[in-house]
Amino acid sequence: MEHKKQELKNGITIHNISTNKFKTNLIAIFLTIPLTREYVTYNAVLSAVLRRGSKNMPTQEEISKTLEEMYGATFDAGINKTGDNHILKFYLESVNDEFLPNDSTDMLKNSIEKITEIVFNPYLEDGNFKELYVDQEKENIKQKIKGKVDNKALYARTRCIEEMYKGKPAGLYRYGYIEDLEKINNKNLYEYYKKIIQECKIDIFISGNTDEKKVMELISQNENIKNLNPRNATYNVNDIEIKEEIKENSIEEKMDVVQGKIVIGCDILFTEEDLKDDNLRCEAMLYNSLLGGSATSKLFQNVREKESLAYTAASNYVRYKSNIFINAGIEITNFEKAIKIIRKQIEDMKNGDFTEEQIENEKKRNNISNKFNRR
Amino acid sequence: MQTIYNSKVKETLYVEKLENGLTIMIIPKKGIQKKYIIWGTHYGSNDNKFIVPGEENVTEVPKGVAHFLEHKLFEQPNGTNSLDTLTAIGVSANAYTTNDHTAYLYECTDNFYEALDEFMDYVQHPYFTDKNVEKEKGIIGQEIQMYDDYPEWKVYLNTLEAMYHTNPVKLDITGTIETIKGIDKEILYKCYNTFYNPSNMCMVISGDFIPENLIEEIKKRLIEKSQTGEIKRIYETEEEGIVKSKVEQKMNVSKPLYTIGIKCIPLTKREQVKTSLGIEIILRILLGESSSLYKELYHDGNIFEVPELSFEFGEDYAHILITGSANNPDELYSKVKNKINEFKEKGLNIEDLERTKKLIYGNMIKQYNDVTDIARTFLSDFMKDINSFDYLEEIETIDINYTNELIKNVFKEDKMVLSVVK
Repeated sequence: MEHKKQELKNGITIHNISTNKFKTNLIAIFLTIPLTREYVTYNAVLSAVLRRGSKNMPTQEEISKTLEEMYGATFDAGINKTGDNHILKFYLESVNDEFLPNDSTDMLKNSIEKITEIVFNPYLEDGNFKELYVDQEKENIKQKIKGKVDNKALYARTRCIEEMYKGKPAGLYRYGYIEDLEKINNKNLYEYYKKIIQECKIDIFISGNTDEKKVMELISQNENIKNLNPRNATYNVNDIEIKEEIKENSIEEKMDVVQGKIVIGCDILFTEEDLKDDNLRCEAMLYNSLLGGSATSKLFQNVREKESLAYTAASNYVRYKSNIFINAGIEITNFEKAIKIIRKQIEDMKNGDFTEEQIENEKKRNNISNKFNRR
Repeated sequence: MQTIYNSKVKETLYVEKLENGLTIMIIPKKGIQKKYIIWGTHYGSNDNKFIVPGEENVTEVPKGVAHFLEHKLFEQPNGTNSLDTLTAIGVSANAYTTNDHTAYLYECTDNFYEALDEFMDYVQHPYFTDKNVEKEKGIIGQEIQMYDDYPEWKVYLNTLEAMYHTNPVKLDITGTIETIKGIDKEILYKCYNTFYNPSNMCMVISGDFIPENLIEEIKKRLIEKSQTGEIKRIYETEEEGIVKSKVEQKMNVSKPLYTIGIKCIPLTKREQVKTSLGIEIILRILLGESSSLYKELYHDGNIFEVPELSFEFGEDYAHILITGSANNPDELYSKVKNKINEFKEKGLNIEDLERTKKLIYGNMIKQYNDVTDIARTFLSDFMKDINSFDYLEEIETIDINYTNELIKNVFKEDKMVLSVVK
């Protein structure tokens, strides 16, 4: 597997990953936009509106039929928060010609055409997005924002992040806010789209049984990509964060559920000095592995196995923001007991209650030994 | 050893049946780093009533034993848990239980054989004590409660309950807090000895392997066990009709969830591949992403996601499930019924059929991207006596006459139920 990066124009990068291990080719387009309270909801609606129609495939039905005709090529659009950026992600995966009947057309070329058209050449009516599409997608996003409470484990985590990053970009909900939806219409959303398409960082990934020359040829001949201007992309560089110590804060919300959810968000307090050490990230990753990253971890062993307190008990590490999130699903009456045992695990970690062997195993499991040894 | 090459997906399956009755299937993937092994017994949550080979009387056990056994098998006499041991070796291990099989698995990039030692050791050596069985009831109890809070799970189970009178497919795989109380170590040993005989098991491996070498390594780790006779499974005769046509439950959800169920007559082994493909095609044309009905419901603002379309079947059951969330499930339900009637009268559009066949063909090819999907598919198909490659070949044989007949025979209005959680 080979990963080659090439800057096509200023701010637009092509990543070619050549591999013959798969039956499919995958094309992904990422648009990176700085997170702001003002535009977070615009991004969510925009991502949904783009998938509704393009210039040559004006309806969703036509997009779907085209993809089905391409032996079930799959298109997906999503929106993620990574550090202080919002990333609009678009994917198209299609079967490689090798596994299709001989009469099929050049699937890679066709796939690049279709995905770039959806992202860069949207369907317009009277020079704006189609009003119906925008209205319907606003409604859908509204449902998604309301649906935040449906998955209790996710909800607890979202609430925890909101509290930890109150008033900061990272605390924003990735689908935005209901009160902001009202301000969005087909005109100002299209204005916003034109602006970000000219300014945002664009990454295009192509992975599959392809050779780089052919890929670059297809890309450089693609009309939708030709039309993109070079840019000095504006986005937040996600460096590992330095944090001041803050006090403990606890939020409790009651709901009619059988199982209670605990999420504990922890700040890792790196200093300026710490950041000079390249191994830092791996150390935090290992710490997290030992604490709650696997079935041998302290949390899983002590909260679930020894005390039978929970079905889930784990933790994960979020690199960009230097956080570890501990989560557990418990019987509500066991809340105090669970918190006590979780605290004990953190305390034990502090006291070095783990072995060299455990560290080696976790390195192996995380497949980070190479990175870790590189100084 | 038997080798089966499929020229469409360009993969080879190696099958070996050992003297003790164990079936081993290997799908080598050259150059892929990930390795995946899954070992399954043809024993699932539906097998609660059976005759142990050599015995005369019927054995009946509480609901949830297969799943309980799955949890318990990891525990070792020296106090360790094999799941932990495998994790410590650096592999990612797991297990699951379905209606018709229980499977143990791990995936890794390194240390495959080191892990195989532990893996084959724990599956072959159960250790149940009164104490460790009692402790497990707490953990499984939490698992059951966790599912109780999932509206998606409730809407599904309610559909099955509305369709089936006696078939155990309608029961929760885990059992209930009540039924698992009745489980003890004697029951676990009895079920283990009955169903974990090599002749009732199959192992599937996918990754960068030389099949002959791998089979030798597996043989080395097998303990000696002789084949037992056939296990007679007793399934109650299920009435053809449904129990009730509608079921509703109140829960804390932002938008109603619905499942439409259509109860079907169980399939014969010969027709199951073609029928299930035919039904998948019809369902896609009925309510898939490019269907006119989906478009209509979306524009009405009734639904905003493509419903999940599935066809589940086993030896003694078969049903279609259409699941999703909708503002007005009743209206959706009546529109679905109308559309089905339209299909019955006018037949399907041939372009839709051909396009949908391409879609499904492509989806099947994609499954061969990942060793996990490959191994899991081959195992679950094996439990139904299906060779997974057959799907790639059978899809070509489906034409418009076949699907039009199928709609009339399978999508019967008096076999339909609607389950709603709101």
